[in-house]
Amino acid sequence: MLSFLLRRSSSFEQKPQFCFSLLASLAQVQSQSQSHHFSSSIQNRSCFTPGYSCLGKRSDGFCLSLIPSSKISPGVSCSDVDSVKCVRFCSSQSQADVDIVEPSTSDGLTVEGIIAQNWTVLGEDESDWRSHASAIAQSIHLTKRRLKWKQLLFKVKSLSEELDKQDLWDDPVRAGKISREHGFLTGKMNEVKAFEQELFEHIDMIKLSREENDAEMESEALKALLEMRRNMKEKELEALLSGEHDSCSCFIEVQAGAGGTESMDWASMVVQMYKKWAQRKGYEVTIVDEMPGEVAGIKRATIRVEGEYAFGYAKAEDGAHRLVRCSPFDSANRRHTSFSAVAVIPILGEGFSRFQIKESDLRIDRFRAGGPGGQHANTTESAVRITHIPTGITATCQNERSQHSNKASAMAVLQSRLDKLELARQAQLNAQHTQSLSENSFGNQIRSYILHPYRMVKDHRTNYEVSDADSVLEGDIDDFILSYLSASLDKDEDGL
Amino acid sequence: MATSVGSKFLDLDNGPDSTLLHRELNWLIQDSLGEGEPATLSCAASASSSGSTSSKKVVKLRTCLDDLYRLWKERIEDRRPFQYLVGCEHWRDLVLSVEEGVLIPRPETELIVDFVEDVLAENYGDGLKEGLWADLGTGSGALAIAIGRILGCNGRVIATDLSPVAVAVTEYNVKRYCLQDKVKVKQGSWFEPLEESEVELGGIVSNPPYIPSDNIAGLQAEVSKHEPILALDGGANGMKDLLHLCNGAASMLRPGGFFAFETNGEQQSQFLAGYMESELGGRLVDIKIESDLAGIPRFVKGFKAR
Repeated sequence: MLSFLLRRSSSFEQKPQFCFSLLASLAQVQSQSQSHHFSSSIQNRSCFTPGYSCLGKRSDGFCLSLIPSSKISPGVSCSDVDSVKCVRFCSSQSQADVDIVEPSTSDGLTVEGIIAQNWTVLGEDESDWRSHASAIAQSIHLTKRRLKWKQLLFKVKSLSEELDKQDLWDDPVRAGKISREHGFLTGKMNEVKAFEQELFEHIDMIKLSREENDAEMESEALKALLEMRRNMKEKELEALLSGEHDSCSCFIEVQAGAGGTESMDWASMVVQMYKKWAQRKGYEVTIVDEMPGEVAGIKRATIRVEGEYAFGYAKAEDGAHRLVRCSPFDSANRRHTSFSAVAVIPILGEGFSRFQIKESDLRIDRFRAGGPGGQHANTTESAVRITHIPTGITATCQNERSQHSNKASAMAVLQSRLDKLELARQAQLNAQHTQSLSENSFGNQIRSYILHPYRMVKDHRTNYEVSDADSVLEGDIDDFILSYLSASLDKDEDGL
Repeated sequence: MATSVGSKFLDLDNGPDSTLLHRELNWLIQDSLGEGEPATLSCAASASSSGSTSSKKVVKLRTCLDDLYRLWKERIEDRRPFQYLVGCEHWRDLVLSVEEGVLIPRPETELIVDFVEDVLAENYGDGLKEGLWADLGTGSGALAIAIGRILGCNGRVIATDLSPVAVAVTEYNVKRYCLQDKVKVKQGSWFEPLEESEVELGGIVSNPPYIPSDNIAGLQAEVSKHEPILALDGGANGMKDLLHLCNGAASMLRPGGFFAFETNGEQQSQFLAGYMESELGGRLVDIKIESDLAGIPRFVKGFKAR
């Protein structure tokens, strides 16, 4: 019974009728504000407190009493609680006002409060609720920071204001975009708030069960806390990938730097690294374009990585990668340093504003074709190059098995490159020039792979390093990516 | 083996170089993988060509390795076309079955379908989309199938070919794309198999043999040694069949009907366009020469006068 009721809180929004009857039987005073209860939902603690007070009593076999309420919030009498609620419900009609109410436990403990308590975080198997609560609070705090919480709240507020405007649907495309974005961000916001609420409920529950000497209830609540703690770890990670385009698939482009065969070989090693990384993550990898070197390696290559959050992760790889080793292509076996430039381009799906390509701006030609062609030639080579004349941006593809597919594939690359250009332009306009969009040259050295005289891979942005260079080159780069992503998001304390 | 070729074939007769052969080898392995295997074998080509197969993963092959090796040997030593090796050619968005005796459809020819697409979009009112089309000398059925797929629900295509092998292959390909109701395959020379009821054609497309007879011997080995001469040899100047098709188009197309033919290049295209303008009494109009993506004037297209 208890565990079911505990879980009820998380399915609160889906089952309002159930809660309704439960609460209605509890106190009729509250029924008048019922609808507000549920529409203003999860973040309003007063909505939950009576729920718990009822539960507390039920396990004792009593019900229909508000006395436990006053027990939970000492010093506040029943009528006080109700009047406070009423005031709150009346004013909580707009989303923005609700946001001001800082969720907390019944005795006023907030996330910040828990962190400030400095409770020691023990291992997961230690059944100390303070340790769990502290770990969860820290997770919530980190998640909020990663989501740029203040900006998020502000954005939601301004989007809500947009949505309330009368003339919104005069431009259905824009309206659709705004309402989608609002839905997306509100979802993120509510998820975190729901976690906060859940944390406080569990804490209240534990306190209550101690007062009531109910060991079973306490251990259930503790178990729920532990589960939540594990859950929050995943949420932390997910919050790393909350950028607008993070969920997109992407192209990864690798270009060999100066230095001939050695650097072309390095470029092909980099491509291999990403191919293996992508395969490990279960992404689908396709080579779109590959220009082999004369002796070995590649001059450049473009691979397409398809799957959820491919761009979110891979964007951390944008920049120059440096290799130091004794070159197998040097007859004297001397030490060489070579570079590969990596660019990561999101493949924007429907719903994003995309660069409009005019058919007349394109020049499409058969790439590397010679001779009389037609029936004279039997070749499986049908490479296509598309040039966007106004920008001079080109895209080629030769790895598909028909000219038609090569053209389609090259077109997709071209579209994404132009989209990225457009994004960079808009970002500049918005004065939010993010790093990954601009510095894509050999000057922006992000990581060194040293194979001689010692073995080490080091990220210059985070100083994260490992000595097992081989496994990194085998695609084990997640730790580099995650450390970069968290470093770049977590440094920004002001976001909260 | 592929690497050893280097650019030998390329210098000899404009044949494939080792880069291309590596890619083909990769595709060969891809095609031989059983269902459910990953679509890409990372660096299969480079691993097998350098003889160091370091892949520890066991993959299911649909053919045994010896067969694969034998096939690949034919590719290099006999210059057997890759498409005959794997029995298919990827053409536009289609995968067409091909075998010895049928011309492997060329990438250039894909553009004819683009022309037809444009015409269907522009001349919607003329009902070409629901009309009867003919692909003459269809070979593997490439044009017929591609056009069959873009016509409206009442549109039909007749594909003819003199070669019984081509007819059989086309029938198979048509079945694979479930177009039996839409594409009719008939054996015979050019317009001959068309019945009297089928003379009001909405469109004619063709990639007829157009290589001058004395050029045949100098062709790339893949073509001259393996592909059907019937589909290549266009007589002394290569224009024999093209001219026949022009005359046929002038009489068989319905007013406003569309035609597009592939040619050997600039010379043939210009000759053909000139012939249509001067010798056919204005029955074919709006005649245009279109280049392929390599920039060679490859196609002649136009309409029957109204």
